[in-house]
Amino acid sequence: MNLLAAHTDDGDSPVHGGGATAPRSGRHHGAHERERGGRLGESSLAGLGHLLRFMLRRDRLWLPIWVLALSALTAYFANAIAVVMDSDSLQAMTVFAKNPVMALITGPGYGLDQVTIPRFIVGMYGVFLMIGSALMSILTVSRHTRAEEQTGRAEFVRAGVTGRHTQLIAALVLTVFMNVLLSAGMAAAFGFSQAEPESWSATVLFAVGIGAVGCVFAAVAAVTVQLSAFARAASSMAGAVLALGFVIRGIGDMSHVSGGSLDWLSWLSPFGWAQQTAPFTLDRWWPLLYAAGLFAALVVVAVVVQSRRDLGAGIVSERLGRSQAGPLLATPLGLALRLQGANLAWWSNSMLVMGVVFGSFTGAMDEGAAGMPPEILAIMGGRSGIVDGYLGYMALYFAIIVAAYAVIAAGGLRSEESSFHSEPVLATAVSRSGWLASWTAVTLVGAGWLMAMAGFGEGLGAAVSMNDWSLLWPTTLGHLAQTPSIWALLGFAYLLYGFAPRLMSLSWIVFGASAVLALFGGMMQLDDAVLDLSLFTHIGQYPAQDLSAEAVLWFVGIAVVLIGVGMVGFRRRDLVTA
Amino acid sequence: MSTLTSTRRAHNQGAPASAAISMREVVKSYGRIRALDGLDLEVARGEVHGFLGPNGAGKSTTIRILLGILRHDSGTVRLLGEDPWSKAVPLHRRLAYVPGDVELWPGLTGGEAIDLFARLHGGVDTRRRDELIDAFDLDPRKKGRTYSKGNRQKVALISALASDVELLLLDEPTAGLDPLMEAVFQDCIREAKEAGRTVLLSSHILAQVEALADRVSIIRSGRIVETGTLSELRHLSRTTITVGLEHDVPALSEMSGVHDLVREGSRLHFSADTAQLPRIMRALGEHDVESLTATPPTLEQLLLRHYGKEE
Repeated sequence: MNLLAAHTDDGDSPVHGGGATAPRSGRHHGAHERERGGRLGESSLAGLGHLLRFMLRRDRLWLPIWVLALSALTAYFANAIAVVMDSDSLQAMTVFAKNPVMALITGPGYGLDQVTIPRFIVGMYGVFLMIGSALMSILTVSRHTRAEEQTGRAEFVRAGVTGRHTQLIAALVLTVFMNVLLSAGMAAAFGFSQAEPESWSATVLFAVGIGAVGCVFAAVAAVTVQLSAFARAASSMAGAVLALGFVIRGIGDMSHVSGGSLDWLSWLSPFGWAQQTAPFTLDRWWPLLYAAGLFAALVVVAVVVQSRRDLGAGIVSERLGRSQAGPLLATPLGLALRLQGANLAWWSNSMLVMGVVFGSFTGAMDEGAAGMPPEILAIMGGRSGIVDGYLGYMALYFAIIVAAYAVIAAGGLRSEESSFHSEPVLATAVSRSGWLASWTAVTLVGAGWLMAMAGFGEGLGAAVSMNDWSLLWPTTLGHLAQTPSIWALLGFAYLLYGFAPRLMSLSWIVFGASAVLALFGGMMQLDDAVLDLSLFTHIGQYPAQDLSAEAVLWFVGIAVVLIGVGMVGFRRRDLVTA
Repeated sequence: MSTLTSTRRAHNQGAPASAAISMREVVKSYGRIRALDGLDLEVARGEVHGFLGPNGAGKSTTIRILLGILRHDSGTVRLLGEDPWSKAVPLHRRLAYVPGDVELWPGLTGGEAIDLFARLHGGVDTRRRDELIDAFDLDPRKKGRTYSKGNRQKVALISALASDVELLLLDEPTAGLDPLMEAVFQDCIREAKEAGRTVLLSSHILAQVEALADRVSIIRSGRIVETGTLSELRHLSRTTITVGLEHDVPALSEMSGVHDLVREGSRLHFSADTAQLPRIMRALGEHDVESLTATPPTLEQLLLRHYGKEE
């Protein structure tokens, strides 16, 4: 920090001490020359200390929230598993945990054949904490760099005595600092938990691995914010890299547990490096060197690209569009479709591709079942039971993903309102209920469409890998049938929108609780009454389980009533802008 | 004033001759803050009405209530003879609005936004639209996120001016435009007036209001503190007078309506209530006045008087 302060003083002096400028000018010029080469000259980092303090002040709420929330989540996983699992149930979990599908989602599962509580926690939950640290890093970097440029605030800052790269580097220093705090918090949360890990160095390795993933994605975001002129697009690009990293390591890990030849894929992903440290099993630190190397390389790329572009500009340039509106843009429904359409198209492709990928593992599941001891196979319902169970479980899995889409899309209506987009629409001959109904209709139908795409992809992949086309339609139906539970969640979101749009984020809590209960509730041996609180446990995982027509009707009814009441609320309240 | 209007309203209820905008005792609070505190505003049909006031006085709140986007707490509001909250949609077919902060969808081009608003209004006059795009020198192919503030404002202005409506509600419509575009805007508003449209023009550009407005209302802290034609407003205010005169005029210093009398060399300076001017002139007429300049109050002075702390 002292070093940074020294830089600041150097950068300041030519301005503050007017007379001192001349003798220093040669040196100053030299710095400028160096900077042109894309390296970090002193003057390109002027004001780093000030800006860092300012960012810390702006994040005085966000920083502790992220760090404490993720540390608390670690504490929760560690203590809950330690309390719930006895040695018998832990042993029973190993079959499940070495299953290729679980490997696809959670990781390579080091040490699960001789499972202990800490190994189980690392193997099953580590990746979710890594996603948390990655999201934290992407959002923090984007918020302090491109979002500042997009709003024009960066121009103010740069007009002061700050260097070309100060904002970027300050944002990176801040984010690395957050990840260090996070690692410390997680290590403490895990080390002092009921899980009672036997080794502090392994505990620290686990936490540092999670922080390392966060740092790599901070650097990824540092590059993507150079590419697009818009903060949201930059975050989405970094998010796409995150999704890619997750899927690549998933396929590699799946191959790893089923003895395939694609396990090298795990080594191409930041998640993979952190997981390959295998805390409590192999305890190796060296895979984190890959993370450090990629971090350094990406920071250099970001700095070089930033040196070559104008403030506020992106690398991807803006093309001209139509000078007149197409026939679609004539009604509120057309507008809602246009505004949500690009997003929906992106999600459609992703759901289809993910469906095909997950579906094509069905064959491997089936073969894996053939090698199981007959008594375990019988418990799981035989080979066809395993296939059906897998396809049914994936319907649930996709329902949770699409529910996240739905909550985001519903939140779009609120940001339309707060960013002054709804006001001019409602100042034309469009009624409030008409506008809300149009937006809602697109989201509702969109959610069903995405589930159909996921189910069709899943069915297609399953049918091809099993060479059994009778799997296609039941799988599609099983996925599509989950839609009403998503609609009920949407109903809740629009109810909040109608009466108290500021509270709309409460729907994320309902989403999160429902998802955790549905995914982990069974494993944690929770009571049925508790599991029933989840939106996703009622319709049934077809084709493994029967569909409940009653639940479908209830959810449709709930959605209709909640949206209707929300509409009444929206018609009665003031618009809330900015 | 109030009796006059109420008889007029009693005469033609709902008929076209009723006021375009009529707000009485309107109160709107946000929590403990009173944004509008008993506001009265009358705008006759076919007039261009300047709506002036300092930032935060309640201009945008007033316009949003007229649009039915905000709901007032008490008082009566009539827009084209109807209730703007319950009849929002049919009324919106008859009016167009330009917000003070124009935000466009980042992914839609300016041309698409113009067409969208026109169609949501009920129809698009493509010839008129193209004329206006030309006059305002807008590139309609650019995406909303790439427009500057001035260009976003042009998009909103073009879609409002291209629609065939009875009433234009303009909330600081030219804050981001250059002087050339300001001239285009003033021409458009004159055309609108000739076509019989009513315009409520909230503005900070006093020259614009002086050039366009038939009548002016000044709002301060949620109340209308002055309303009338510009000459009526001037009448209520003081004229600055400088007289070249070697000796003092004792009568002046005692005369009511004369303020801030000072001598500077051979000249007397004072300000005079405009209503008292004839009496003052008669008093001066008895002396050997060498020169005389009288400066009517500028709109700035009028406004500063109302914007300032004095009640």
